[in-house]
This record gives sequence, structure tokens and C-alpha cells, in this order.
Amino acid sequence: MELQVLFDKQIYSVEAIKKAAYRFIDKFSAVISEEGPSYSCALNFPDKSSDNQVTRIVDDFKKEVLDQDLRESIKKETEGVRNLILAHTFSKAGLIKDE
Amino acid sequence: MSKFQPIEFYKNKSHSYELLPLRFEALDDENYVVTNMAGEYLTLPRDKLSKLVKHELTASDPDYVNLRARHFLVDDKTSIAKDLLAIKLRTKYSNLSEFTGLHIFVISLRCEHSCPYCQVSRASDDKVAFDMSKEVADKSLDLALKAPAQNIKIEFQGGEPLLNFPLIQYIVERAESLRGSKNIGYVIATNLALINDEVLQFCKKYKVQISTSLDGPKDLHNHNRPRKGSNSYEKAIEGMASAREYLGKYSVSALMTTTKASLGRVKEIIDEYVNREFGGIFLRPLSPYGFALKTKTYAAYDAQKWHEFYVEGLEYIIELNRQGKEFREFYTALILSKMLTSTEPGYVDLMSPAGIGIGAVVYNYDGKVFASDESRMLAEMGENKFEIGHVLKHSYEQIFLSDALLDPIEESFAYSVPMCNDCAFESYCGADPVFHYGIYKDYVGRKPDSEFCNRNMKIFKYLIKRMEEDPFVKKIFTEWAQPNA
Amino acid sequence: MLKLYGRGVAENFVLDRSRLFTLTKNPHLPIGERADKAFIVEGSLAPEGYGAYLTFESVEEVVQQNQLELPEEMSYIDESDIARISPSGRISVIFRKKSPNNTFLLTERCNHYCLMCSQPPKDHDDSWLMEEAMEALELIPKDTVNIGYTGGEPTLYGDQFLELIAKTKQVLPNTAIDVLTNGRTFKDSSFAKRYAEIDHHDCLLGIPIYSDDPAQHDYVVQANGAFDETVQGILNLKRFNQKVEIRVVIHKQTIDRLVQTCEFIARNLIFVDHVALMGLEMMGFTRANLDKLWIDPYEYKNTLSKALEVLNSYGIKTSIYNHQLCVVNLDVKPNYVKSISDWKNEYVEECDSCIKKNECGGFFSSSKKYRYSDHIKAFR
Repeated sequence: MELQVLFDKQIYSVEAIKKAAYRFIDKFSAVISEEGPSYSCALNFPDKSSDNQVTRIVDDFKKEVLDQDLRESIKKETEGVRNLILAHTFSKAGLIKDE
Repeated sequence: MSKFQPIEFYKNKSHSYELLPLRFEALDDENYVVTNMAGEYLTLPRDKLSKLVKHELTASDPDYVNLRARHFLVDDKTSIAKDLLAIKLRTKYSNLSEFTGLHIFVISLRCEHSCPYCQVSRASDDKVAFDMSKEVADKSLDLALKAPAQNIKIEFQGGEPLLNFPLIQYIVERAESLRGSKNIGYVIATNLALINDEVLQFCKKYKVQISTSLDGPKDLHNHNRPRKGSNSYEKAIEGMASAREYLGKYSVSALMTTTKASLGRVKEIIDEYVNREFGGIFLRPLSPYGFALKTKTYAAYDAQKWHEFYVEGLEYIIELNRQGKEFREFYTALILSKMLTSTEPGYVDLMSPAGIGIGAVVYNYDGKVFASDESRMLAEMGENKFEIGHVLKHSYEQIFLSDALLDPIEESFAYSVPMCNDCAFESYCGADPVFHYGIYKDYVGRKPDSEFCNRNMKIFKYLIKRMEEDPFVKKIFTEWAQPNA
Repeated sequence: MLKLYGRGVAENFVLDRSRLFTLTKNPHLPIGERADKAFIVEGSLAPEGYGAYLTFESVEEVVQQNQLELPEEMSYIDESDIARISPSGRISVIFRKKSPNNTFLLTERCNHYCLMCSQPPKDHDDSWLMEEAMEALELIPKDTVNIGYTGGEPTLYGDQFLELIAKTKQVLPNTAIDVLTNGRTFKDSSFAKRYAEIDHHDCLLGIPIYSDDPAQHDYVVQANGAFDETVQGILNLKRFNQKVEIRVVIHKQTIDRLVQTCEFIARNLIFVDHVALMGLEMMGFTRANLDKLWIDPYEYKNTLSKALEVLNSYGIKTSIYNHQLCVVNLDVKPNYVKSISDWKNEYVEECDSCIKKNECGGFFSSSKKYRYSDHIKAFR
């Protein structure tokens, strides 16, 4: 069975939607496209899925999109300090600043 | 008295804070697990997590202090977290430069058992065809001694390695004379049916450890491991007793192979190990190699049943501990090391970069070099993707710098692959390119589909939940997690 | 509690300046060795040539130069002890051979101002204490097992502190050292390196960490930025493989996060050589801050057990000091040390009937006098 979920472009990034859809790749296949002010996700479920299952999975999917959004914020903010820490981890010189 | 400042004087001046790298996964309906760069975790309700990321958390929130102390954020009060994280990561990665620690020598493919789950043995007497030659042994040992590691382990496998015991003696004696400043530990992986005084004396002299198979109580073990006389279990028990008497109680360890017949009997299997006075058990996952792989019957059904097997086994072991019996589960202990300490236990399947070549290597009876034990099994199924060279034809550099080894390591590196890249549990888990290639014909696979991913994620969440809800479990898990424990 | 210093009644006492004397009861020392020794007069014998003569009221009058009559409470003094005697007749015993923990105060200056400091800081030039310690090294018996250096903050002396350690190694090659320091000076890795280069065979730096919460730690020590610098100091010391002990004094300001603090140590500083969990002493600033600090140990015994469990399960060597056995749980016994310096400890009346009295460290004299647990109960 197929279902469509719309995400407001102003609020959600396509990256977050793609990453969320990837996590559900064992439960549905998704085709993502633009539809006016929204991103459209066409979700295709295997025939044997019950209505209850589908509702639950779609709910989880929507939550996952929000989680991916949060992950994007974290990544953006922390990429720099992550690289700094890794540089320290692998450097031969000392770790402490006055070195 | 007025010379003393109140606590407010020492709190942070500004209300802003910087996030440190962190990842999260849902633990259950309310709580999330958040992990820092060093893999240390904290659980938080989702709304708290959201506040944290949106910079809405205030210093008066009790979670703020914990998050700061556990290296999820820094502020104007303290920034030592960055140095501490770097040190912990450095510790975790420090063994990488030691490179290959485990060198497996497949001494012979001949075996007098005919276990259906074994992919690699031959019920044959043809020594020429199926025994490792001296020439191959010499070259293999030379390669092993070239490894940068100060401490290496040489493990003799087969078939049944004791069927070619003279070669074991030869290799050990040669290794001892050539090892220089390296420390070498020796292990023989044997079914113990052929152990005798000569073997035991030799093991005692060179401090060789014994690793054997014990699948469970007698009927299960003999069902899994047929041999002429149907006495694999009896022979194993007898052999263990002799080995312990000669070499000491802790000289023998045992591994079980989980088969469909094992599922549903985990308590009996554990009882068997307890009765045989082992300090713990390794509840191995169902092997996807061999028959299961060929017929693609390695299905979700089995994975779920195995998870139940594992949980029932672990809970039983926790109960035993609660009643005062010290006993541990070794797969859990490996994961707990990664969760609770900065050490890297070096278990091939749970390493990223992948443990193939880096953690272990296999020198096959015929001279072929494989990136890991599983790589060899895959080759027996006709897929030799992880054959990385030949001892008689290639140098150390040609083997360990071959594309056959480096490509899968690079391509499967967990931080760089979809989903693992975001995963809160990445530092507990591993890249297993051999497993994924075997099943999905791809070093990475699609993690949502991957049984490896599902199995491990379920375990990580389960362990965290148990520790959070039960201080006794947290205590024994912490003890299990210690290196050299 | 032993009286370590006092004032004697001087008789023909002529001393040009304060001096260190090794005390002796040996009347047969070669003449050439007597001038820098103080002779403890026990009978009527007072041979000539000693630098000073120490008598007690109970001893018959003898006539010698530099006789000092000491109060009876000081009659514990013995062979090989070392004392500073001043021209005014003041005597201070700075080393006792029988003591298992001789400690030298190097300075009262400090860059912390801990709420519970037992040696309240004084900002004055007391470098004579360092000089005296250097001098005393020559007199300390070579078979002394260990000595301690404390303050104030000993490392405020900078390189002079390093000279002291180096000299101790040279003059007392078989003696271990315990230093109490806040470790902050070692945040300078070149200082840490120079310290490491001394390569003392057995010098342990005891460094306090009072919380995993930097604000709380800084509050207890009354110094902003202390936490980060102390941790950096410890990291530097460990980089150079030096021995470090972490000390936590338990009171109301450190008990709330004691378990988390131990978890912090286990996750970040697992390489430390030892952790000491210590009971509160009633000296110095403690009494002035009692309302902020006092919590009956009996009230926190379960938290103490939990904290210890964290450290034990990580395999970190830990000891519990300065608690009475009746105020802790039985499970801490393997880590319990019958501590309290031998010149400070005492027992209360309830202890008279206690069957575990000789396993128990008892009380600080100061605690006995001012405040101790309401739950002291003899084991029967």
C-alpha cells in the first residue's frame, strides 16, 4: 500500500527527511519529491502490512524526521570542536594547551 | 568568615554553553540515550535533549551539571573536557598501532568430528592434501613475527589441529627461538578427543592454553558434534579434566556454537558451564556462514529467537551472580568494556576500523592468507573476497597493504557509512565487512536491514536499560568491563 | 595528642640563634659529635660537650650550660628525634623517630582557601620553613621509611620545591615521600617535566578533587578555575609517569556528588595510584564553617558505600580514612584504614566497652573536643 506524507519546506530540511527515510528502509521504500511548499514522501509498504502497523510506522517516521533535524543542529555546531579533539587525539605532541 | 565566598561566586558567569559532539538514539518511549565522543552514555527524556540542543538548558537544571561533568557541553566555567575526551579516545585507539595481535594457523583440515555447522573440515586421511606443510608453516611464522605488536597470540586451529601435532611442536619451538623481544602466547583450539600425555607435557612446557568446544549438556553437544562413537561430549569432559590437572584450572577455556537446537535451552547450557567450573560463557550469535548462507535461510525469525536466547541467558547469569556465584557472559563483557571504560578489547567483529587484518589474520593450511576466521569460512563457501595473499608468493607488505584488505576496511569504516555515522552506539559496535559481504554482497550493507546492526542495537539498549534500572546489575557489569578482569 | 612544642625553663641557656638539634640519650658519643646534639637527661648523668641539655621536673638538678627544663608532657622525646630550639627556650619537635608519619610544614602560604582547611593560610614570607626542612634532611636517620611535605601549597616555591625533592632523593635514598599539593603548578608541563626528571623512586603527590562539578570544587577550595588547573596538573604528571593520589574530604559540600565524583575519577583518571576518602577534621577553618560543612558520617554511610563500590568495581585502589568503625557500613571494611596520625588520635567513653576498639582509628583530638557523630556505639 502507498501513503503520502508532506513536510513543510520552511521547517524541515530534505537531508533530515532522506536520513529518516533511510532508517526505515526495511519497513517501507520512499520516493521523495517537491510538491509546492512541501516535500512529499511517497511511502510504499509491503502488502502484508496491517493498517495498525502502517500507522505506527508512519508515526515513528515523523518522529525520526524530527530527530534527524536535531542531529543536523548538533553536527553543525560541533563539527569544528570534533575535529579539534581528533587532532589532539592523533597528534604526537602533547594534548595540553601550553605545549 | 566574611573572607569566604558563597557558591554563587564560583558558578558560571554567562548562561551560554557550547555543545560537545554528541549522538543519540531512542531507548524507549520516553527516554533517549545520549553518547559523547568517548562513548560514555547518559539517559535523558526527549524534551530535555531538545532543550539541550536548542541551548535552552539552564545551569540550575540538575541535568546541566551532569551533562557538563560527563563531557556533553562546555561553558566558561570549565573546558578541560576537550583534553579529557582526546585522552580517552587516544587510549581507545592506542592498540591500533600494535596492529595484528592474533595469528591463526590452520594446521590441518582433517577432523574426526563431522559437525554439520562446520564449514571447513574434511573427514579425510589425506595428509598431503589437507595438512599445512613445513614450508608454509615457516613462511607463516615469519609473517607473524613481522607484526609490530609486542605481544602476539598464535592460535592453532583446524579441522582438528591435534591430528597434526608434530607441526604444532615444530612451529612453537621455532617461534620461541626466533621471537626476540616479542611475547608470544599459544593456544590450541581442539575438541580434546585426541589429547594425551605427550600433548599435555608439551603444553605445560610452553604454557600453551587450550580452547575447546562445549555446546551444552551431553545430548545437545553430541547432537551438534557427531563423531564415530557418538562420544564427543565424554571425550571433551575427560580431556578438560586431564588438561586442568596437568596445566592448571584456568588453562582451558570453552566456546559454544549456537545452533537451532540450542535455542530454548540456554539455562541448561549455562548450567553445564557452571558445573564444569568455567568462569563464564560466550553466548555466540547464530553463524550466518555455511549452510545458512547457502540457502538464505538466515532469517529474521532466527535473529529474534537468538535475542530471546541471549536475554534469557544473561538474566539467568545475573541471577546466579545475585545468589553469590561469580559467572560472566563474555560477549556482554566485551561490549561493556567499550561502554564503561576507555579500553578497546580488540574483538574482531566489534571493531571500527574493522578488525580484519588489524586484529587477527589467518594462515591457511594451503598457504593462503585470510583477513579473519570468518573470511576463511566465507572462502569455503566459494567467496574468496577476503583472501589477501599467499605466504609463499607475497611479502608482508604485499599482504597487509593489499587492496583486498584495505578496501573493505576503508569502505566499511563505521563513522563514514550511512546510519552508523549518526549512531549513538557507534563506539560500542563494529564494522563487519565480512558478514555484510557474505549476506548482502556489500561491505556495508543497509544497516536497517542488517541482522548485525539489529542484533547489536537491541543488545546495547538492553544493557543500558538494565544498568539504569538495577544498581546490582550496574555493579557487576562494571566489574565485567574491566580489562584483564 | 602529643605536645610537639613547648617552652622550657632555661638555665644557663646560651644559644646564638634557633638551631636544629638531634636528640640523644647516648652519654658516650665521641666528643667531636656532641656539639650539635641535645642530650636528654634521665638520671644524674650529664656529660660535657653537648650542645644543649633537656631535663624534666622529675630530674635532679644538674649544672651545665644550655640546660632547658621541659614540661612533663614532652617526656616522650627520644633518641634520634630532631628538635628546633630557639634562644628564648622554645622547643619544637619536628621529627620523631618512633612516628610512622613525620611531616614537614614547608609554608603557610596557599593559593586555595579551603572551607575546611586545617592549616589556615597566612600570606607572609615563611621561607625559613623551607630552609629548615632542607637542613633537617641532613639529620634525619637514613633508615626512615617515609616523610611528608605539606603546607599551605608546597609547590608555590617553584624550583625550590624541586630542589627539596632532589635533595631528599640524594640524602635519603631509601625514604619515600608523600606531598600534599593542589597540583595546579603542574599544569605547566615544563614544571611537571622537571619534576619527573628528578626521577624520585617513591614520591606520591596527594591531590584533592572535591567534586566532578567544577563550580562545587572551586567553591570548596575558594578559588576560581582551580578544578581545570588541578585536573590538567594531574594529566601532566601522569603523562610523565609520576605517582598521584586523589584525596576527597567528605563533608556536606562534597557528599551530594561523592558518587558522581568517584565515577568521574573512574572514567577520566583511572590511572591514579590511589584514592583516599577522608573524614573531616575539626581544626582550622572547619569550625568557622561548621554550619556549611557538618554532616554526621552516620547519615552518609550508604553514600560512602556506593562511592566506594564504584571505585572498587573499576579496580582503583582506595582507602577510607578518619572514620570510626561504628559509623560506616561493614562493606567498607576491606578498604578501611586505622589512620589518624599517632599524635592526633583519641577515643571517647563509649569506646571503652567496644570490642573493635583496636581495629578502629578513633577520633581526631579536635573532633573529640568539638564535634563528632551522634551515633557512636560500641560493638559488643
